[in-house]
Amino acid sequence: MEKKLETVMEELITRPGVIGCIFADHQGLCLGVKGKASTESAGIIHAMAEEAARLEPKSKPPVILLENDNRSCILTTTGTLTGAIFKSLN
Amino acid sequence: MGCCYSFFCKDENSSQTGDVNERTHLLIDPVSNNSNVQRVNSEDILSRNPNILPKKTDEQSALTRILQETAANVIDVAALGTHNLQQHDYLERMKLYNVRVQQILNNSRHKFNKKGNCILQDIPNPEKVLNCDPIAAEDLNLIISAVAGASAAISDIKVDHKEDLVVPFGLLNS
Repeated sequence: MEKKLETVMEELITRPGVIGCIFADHQGLCLGVKGKASTESAGIIHAMAEEAARLEPKSKPPVILLENDNRSCILTTTGTLTGAIFKSLN
Repeated sequence: MGCCYSFFCKDENSSQTGDVNERTHLLIDPVSNNSNVQRVNSEDILSRNPNILPKKTDEQSALTRILQETAANVIDVAALGTHNLQQHDYLERMKLYNVRVQQILNNSRHKFNKKGNCILQDIPNPEKVLNCDPIAAEDLNLIISAVAGASAAISDIKVDHKEDLVVPFGLLNS
């Protein structure tokens, strides 16, 4: 049933630098998580994407990059799905 | 400020010692001093009208009584004159009050610091961060393809039932 999503996530965390990924639905509920990512962050990720999209409602949903010295988090939304990828910068 | 506060504080010692501070009464207590005021004012009136002094009628005594009652309730601010503040007094008190306020603020500063745990913080060189590329093309492609793939994968999710949704409980026994 959700095997395709599992496959997508497994393929994703094999990419260089990627340490984790998470997907959330339109209510911020976790659909799937792999690697170093917490299911509890699904709601926060969805809320951030929603708030950022509200800045320019006529544009397509933005890609948000959060970054500190050793990690980055890239997130965006499409349709009802919000996805986030955690990358290690080291 | 001193006046308002001293009205409510019952610290009589501070006003009786003669030291002028922020709790000194600016006006002398009218209840304890009204006898002097009353006497002066009533004598004043009587001396101005000497011709009506010998024949004290009831009307006259009633008027005098009203006058005395009024005088007892009047606070003659100009006659008190004990706290004529000069310009340098104002400045001194202003400095004193500022020092007191600073002391109170310093004592309570730790209460405000407890709330300072913000997730977002200022960074020393913002122009450095603002000048760099917003996002690498590689990362952009990665997230877009990942979300598109996941979206397609989720749209494929469908519930395929293997058992009956409605189970007839107890129908077999009847």
